[in-house]
Amino acid sequence: MGELWVDGGRCQGHARCWALAPETFEIDEEGYAHVIPGRENSGDEPNVRKAIRNCPERAILERETDDAGEKAEEVSTS
Amino acid sequence: MSTETERGLSHNKSDFDFHGRALDNIFDDYQDMLANGPVGHSDKYGGFWYITKSEDIFNAEQDPDTFAVGPSMLLPAFGTDVPLIPIDIDPPTHADFRKILLPMFTPMNVSKLGPGMRETARQLCQEVLAAGDVVDVSAKLARPMPTIIFSRLAGYPEQDWPIFDRWIDEIIYERTAHPETAYAAGRELNDYFDRLLDEREKAGPEADASNDLITQLLKAEVKGRKLTREELLSYCYLLFLAGLDTTAWAIRSALWYLAGNPQAQQQLREDPDLIPTAAEEFLRTLSPVQAMARTAKADTVVRGQEIKAGERVVLVFGAGNRDPEVYEEPNEIKIDREDNRHLAFGGGIHRCLGSNLGRAEMVIAMEEFLKAVPHFERANNDEPWHGVGPLTLKIGA
Ligand code: SF4
Repeated sequence: MGELWVDGGRCQGHARCWALAPETFEIDEEGYAHVIPGRENSGDEPNVRKAIRNCPERAILERETDDAGEKAEEVSTS
Repeated sequence: MSTETERGLSHNKSDFDFHGRALDNIFDDYQDMLANGPVGHSDKYGGFWYITKSEDIFNAEQDPDTFAVGPSMLLPAFGTDVPLIPIDIDPPTHADFRKILLPMFTPMNVSKLGPGMRETARQLCQEVLAAGDVVDVSAKLARPMPTIIFSRLAGYPEQDWPIFDRWIDEIIYERTAHPETAYAAGRELNDYFDRLLDEREKAGPEADASNDLITQLLKAEVKGRKLTREELLSYCYLLFLAGLDTTAWAIRSALWYLAGNPQAQQQLREDPDLIPTAAEEFLRTLSPVQAMARTAKADTVVRGQEIKAGERVVLVFGAGNRDPEVYEEPNEIKIDREDNRHLAFGGGIHRCLGSNLGRAEMVIAMEEFLKAVPHFERANNDEPWHGVGPLTLKIGA
């Protein structure tokens, strides 16, 4: 499991993540999403998986943390 | 030999149209296009390439340098040849204009409007019930609800609301068959906003407290300067057409489906928490905006098909939303479909600014209608889906 994050370059503020998993995603005053601090490891929760699968911009990513090198990789969306 | 043949086009639907009555029974055509020629050329509206696969539409939306919106995202134009702000504006200027209203359309701001929206929906549902056993719910609910809600938010004076429907009909729905009617109505709409802006500017700073969309636009700055009158008019023009009609279409489509599917109606009555999920499915399958145009800024290739710089390209959201590669049983409307990454609001930098408001209105309309009306069905059982026009329902116990 990796660390959850929202790619600010891709997020366009559809707010699907917030609608489906408000305990993990917050929306700023311009409408863009980020992961609530402390919730970076909630990627296995069903609501969060649902948010990942429904984000129209595929902007919710997981940063692999198991290896030494920090590598950002898109979560499987199938 | 046609250019298309020279360029190796294997499958072509040269009369493909995405407006008006052309949408009746369009879904079989979409499946055919997706399977046999996902990129093709139509001769309509001066000629355009159409892109139907979900993945290709996504990629085009993510690449605004190649797939630009200028001169116009609307094909044909929306009763005016002035570029509409912000949808007809390309980067880098686009973001400056879009930023002005982003805060007004966040889900948090939209949820503040919730109680008012619900009250409006309740009143309109009572009027539906009072109107008798056979009622046009398009005229009684689907159209007035977004008009009232958006007009309040935007700051259009209440006494003006009754004339709005005609402008929408003429600009949006007459523009293919009667472009001159659309342009005439477009000028009326433009003059209307010109007068409204004059009044607002005369009213001065006291009016600023109202915090509506027009006030926000008047206060806004782009690169350290106020918007010009032309820019204000263009922004107002777009907001009017985008804010009112699409939501009416979405509500109408949801009610059309539920009226013809008593089981789905029952399921949502028993489990109202499912309504937001159902709303997404209606947005996917009966999208208010079936397609939007781009212009290729450079020569490019989509799925092997060459597209030349300067050519028009239409992203067919309605087809992408039924792409069997993305959705299981794409033509089935499953109101509990949970994985629903649809394209109904577009994506990339031009994602529909009002998507959070549109969704909220749709959900509230369904919730209140199901609560107020114990049973409803289509007066004409065979009525096909249309996003516009009357929707006559039999209302009863
Ligand atoms: S669903 Fe995706 S695009 Fe929308 S706010 Fe969340 S992360 Fe951003």
